[in-house]
Amino acid sequence: MSDRMASASVPLLQLRDIEKTFPGVRALSEVSFDVRAGEVHALLGENGAGKSTLIKIVSGVYQPDSGVILIDGREAHFATPEDAKRAGVATIYQELLLFPELTVAENIFLGHAPRGRLGRIDWTAMRANAEELLASLDIDDLASDMIVGSLPVGNRQRVEILRALSHDARILIMDEPTAALTESDVMRLFDIVRRLKARGVAVVYISHRLDEIFAIADRVTVLRDGAYVGAREVAETSAAELVQMMVGRRIENLFPKTAVPIGGPVLEARDLVRRPMTKKVSFAVRRGEIVGLAGLVGSGRSELAQTIFGVTPAESGEIRLLGETVKIDSPESARAKGIAYVPEDRGVQGLVRAMSVLHNFSLAALNGLSRWGFIDRSAERRMAEEGVERFSVRTSSVDEIAGRLSGGNQQKIVLGKWLANNPRLLILDEPTRGIDVGAKAEIHRLMGELAAGGVAILMISSELPEVLGMSDRVLVMREGRLVAEFDRARATSEAVGAAMMGSEPHVEKAA
Amino acid sequence: MSATAFVAAASARNGGLRRFASQEALLAVAVIGLAIVVGFINPRFLAARNLSDLLLGNAYIAIAAVGMSMVIISGNIDISVGALIGVLATLSGSMAVAGIPTVLCWLTPLIFGLSVMAAQGAVVAYLRIPAIVVTLGMMSILKGGLISVTGGRWITDLPQDFHLADRNIYGVPMPVAIMVVATALAALWMRYSAAGRAIYATGGNAEAARLCGVNPQRTVVMVFALHGLFAGIAALVYATQLRVIQSTTPPGLELTVITASVVGGVSILGGVGTVVGSTLAAILIAEITSALVFINVSPYWTDAVRGALILATVIADIVRRQRRAARGWKR
Amino acid sequence: MSLAAMKPARPLPRWLARHETLLAAILIVALIALGSFNEVFLTPDNLLNQGRFMTETGLIALPMTFVIITGGIDLSVGAIVGLCAIMLGYSWKTFGFPLPLAIIFALGVGALAGFMNGLVITRLKVPPLIMTIATLALYRGLAEGVSQAHSVRGYPDWFYFLGQGSVFGVPTQLLILIVLIIAAGVALDRTTFGRTLYAIGANETAARFSALSVDRTKLIIYTLSGLASGLAAFVLVSRVTTTRMDMGMGYELDVIAAVVLGGTSIFGGSGTIWGTVIGLVMIQLLKNGLALTGVKGDATIVVIGGALILSVLIASSLQRRRE
Repeated sequence: MSDRMASASVPLLQLRDIEKTFPGVRALSEVSFDVRAGEVHALLGENGAGKSTLIKIVSGVYQPDSGVILIDGREAHFATPEDAKRAGVATIYQELLLFPELTVAENIFLGHAPRGRLGRIDWTAMRANAEELLASLDIDDLASDMIVGSLPVGNRQRVEILRALSHDARILIMDEPTAALTESDVMRLFDIVRRLKARGVAVVYISHRLDEIFAIADRVTVLRDGAYVGAREVAETSAAELVQMMVGRRIENLFPKTAVPIGGPVLEARDLVRRPMTKKVSFAVRRGEIVGLAGLVGSGRSELAQTIFGVTPAESGEIRLLGETVKIDSPESARAKGIAYVPEDRGVQGLVRAMSVLHNFSLAALNGLSRWGFIDRSAERRMAEEGVERFSVRTSSVDEIAGRLSGGNQQKIVLGKWLANNPRLLILDEPTRGIDVGAKAEIHRLMGELAAGGVAILMISSELPEVLGMSDRVLVMREGRLVAEFDRARATSEAVGAAMMGSEPHVEKAA
Repeated sequence: MSATAFVAAASARNGGLRRFASQEALLAVAVIGLAIVVGFINPRFLAARNLSDLLLGNAYIAIAAVGMSMVIISGNIDISVGALIGVLATLSGSMAVAGIPTVLCWLTPLIFGLSVMAAQGAVVAYLRIPAIVVTLGMMSILKGGLISVTGGRWITDLPQDFHLADRNIYGVPMPVAIMVVATALAALWMRYSAAGRAIYATGGNAEAARLCGVNPQRTVVMVFALHGLFAGIAALVYATQLRVIQSTTPPGLELTVITASVVGGVSILGGVGTVVGSTLAAILIAEITSALVFINVSPYWTDAVRGALILATVIADIVRRQRRAARGWKR
Repeated sequence: MSLAAMKPARPLPRWLARHETLLAAILIVALIALGSFNEVFLTPDNLLNQGRFMTETGLIALPMTFVIITGGIDLSVGAIVGLCAIMLGYSWKTFGFPLPLAIIFALGVGALAGFMNGLVITRLKVPPLIMTIATLALYRGLAEGVSQAHSVRGYPDWFYFLGQGSVFGVPTQLLILIVLIIAAGVALDRTTFGRTLYAIGANETAARFSALSVDRTKLIIYTLSGLASGLAAFVLVSRVTTTRMDMGMGYELDVIAAVVLGGTSIFGGSGTIWGTVIGLVMIQLLKNGLALTGVKGDATIVVIGGALILSVLIASSLQRRRE
């Protein structure tokens, strides 16, 4: 008896000072986290904050470099996912791990079906057990015989949850569970989560949707850049505070913003639509202006940028450049019109890591560097050397392999490669993410120079201080729509943060 | 029972009947339908003799397609099977002529085929060399090796009891019996056993498979080994039907086998398909080949028809998969 | 793979450590060795003759290098050779085209066949391996069907100049090959097109995001592959004086082996034309050497197959060690 009471105060799962480093990246540094039985503890953070690494450590996919995992107060080592499962940890990933050819019951009992004589599978018992589980969560629109492949995603997710339960999971981790769900599915999910709570299951709920966290979680922990920022009782905190914790960095010496004369519109986008993430967006960016595009992860900012840049061309709507209506159906046509895009994922989208600094610098400007298709090598080398000089890229030579440089230097190369084209519109997608302070300041200085030179800049950033410090105007996107616009004077972190989360005063029309 | 073991068993039970029934039913309908249409144009097509020749003569392709289907479902490919079958047939025949006990002549191709393929599987799985390169190289080694060792010599005077394929078992000709049994066993195994299901898991969603405890490398080696076994059985059926074994590689055999798998519903991208489908498809292809003759189309067009079939099936499959992915299954 | 933790470059000058230099060294050693075993071998006559034989493979190996650098592959080249050879003979004999037109027609068919490959690969996103296995079957089948296994003979004398004639003592087709080698090498090394190929192979996504015309480039290389196969067909028919439907069988092995032996990674992103040329010469040498020591033609494919597997094995283990 007393044992049980004691354990009620010991968290079911505890992580202390977890460290995990991958080559070149420190994914988690001294992260601590714990969750109690019957509690929903949310894990909040931006892309790259370390949430998925943390989950993978708890589920036994990765092993921490240092730090401890405690289950019921006792140290545990998960060398494989099976170990974690046996300890009662179940994870529901965003990419559902179901087998489409099998039925609901079969997917639930994957790996641990009730056995009958001779060790053969007892199908009837299995079906009965599945029906029981369905009933326990009051799920009436699923039958154990349905083929999973034919189910809509909300139902499939429920099958995954049931699967976790069938393993007697005591700790259930849900990674962005509502990403693909409809409103009603979300409500049903919350209902299930509440029932799980009542049963004493500890739920780790990863999401960046603050309204959901406030609806369902008891506590919330914020991670940023792999580090633990803080934990709060949900009842005792506010959305603004969480946003600040999530995105606010120590305010470093951001380059002071100099006033730059703002000219006429360079880019005018009207009613741009591109499924699924861009829903009728209209805005403009003017000469010399820096427009900051703020929003939470998944709000559709990169998708919008890629539509303007032609990677995923708009399905309807109009784009005008310097007053002239243009059709942008590929990155080549975007570049031809003077648009440049520095992507969010510099390793995959921005740089060819296996190539040299020299070749990366010229990659977007080859047409300008060549005559009749032949690349002018000395001009190319000169451009790269000037670029290295101008952007202070730290490298032993332009022939160095780009992949060996640090993040900040790599970013400078990506930036430099596009600037070589003298673009009229420069779209920057998280330009200073994962970069050291010094490089960050340099990039900001550069942006100021470019703006002064008449370039129109659209900057997507998840760092509020950066957005607030650099922008002449701030646009906020949420779930594929532009929901707010602030000019520099009125853009405060509360106002912008509120718009990002959706609790701003002005009412927007429903879809 | 491990997670994967399970997946296997389950699919067999109802998943198969419900979802795959469509592909297999379609093929069965096509086989019958085509026979009727061609029979209408030229009734001699439906003569018992012709149909039985068709079935007997091509059963070995269906058997080889069982193994090939497994390889493709696991996410790989093999183009050396034709050459391997040529080598195994020659091996078997030469052993028989040399007076080695018949049973050994029958068993050796199975063992040899299994070993050669397993070796390729190991190279693919553990050394990470793309299957196409390994099997392309191996195909040449086998083909060239065969010719240089035998000089294309014909093997004649095979002992009477060598001809396994001429025998009947409970009144059913051996080749057909072996084909049906092999297909049935393989189909059941792939559905009901952990290892069999692991093949689908590895080819379909390798990450999920790994998290379910499947070892993709071991699965690939196993798949290739089985493929070699079935190739051996196919070679056996093929060789023991012939009075004279030409020590050459049956031309285009690997393509026919791949076509049978793909038309039978095996997705070339891996993870989907059944061996029952590939057997039916093999029969269909043999039927088409024969039909062309009976409707007076020159037999030289059969390869073009086969090529068009595989191209159309592959494109349709990939386009269908992309549409499904866009609709949001995978992510 | 820890890029950041790589060892600093060794003091060896870079050109010396390159794959091609190594190969060239092996080549020279092999030449000398074979030359000492057999006195016919190093005679200009023999060498030039070998050059003649190696042209067909060589022509196709050039665009195949491009294709493999982008991380793709084209298995249908042998079948396209067969198809073009048939189209050449067929359009001349049966359609009655004047021979020059028939030649151009055949080349056109080759280009079209390659274009179809490229179109489906870029628009429908069918993986190159799969598409070209399917077209391998289709094109070969078409060659058989169109020809009905009839051969075509009796070309006029001038037709044989390409395959059997010489200019200043150098076989005609070899001259053409040399010119194309230089063109291909320059294109790969010094043009935007070549740079795009490397970028696609190293990181196709980044290439697209850098506004390189990825799809158009892919379309071009597959079309070139088909065109080169057509040209090879022309050379082949001209050399052996007949058109047969089984021409080009097995070419894909020789071509891919030459490219891979020459240092082009099967995974894409690296490789040079010079390397391919060395690979080509080595394979021809191998064949010649074997023939001169009495090994029959068929057996050589054993060696080529083995060489292919071996070179990929070595390349991949070197790659792994570098990481």
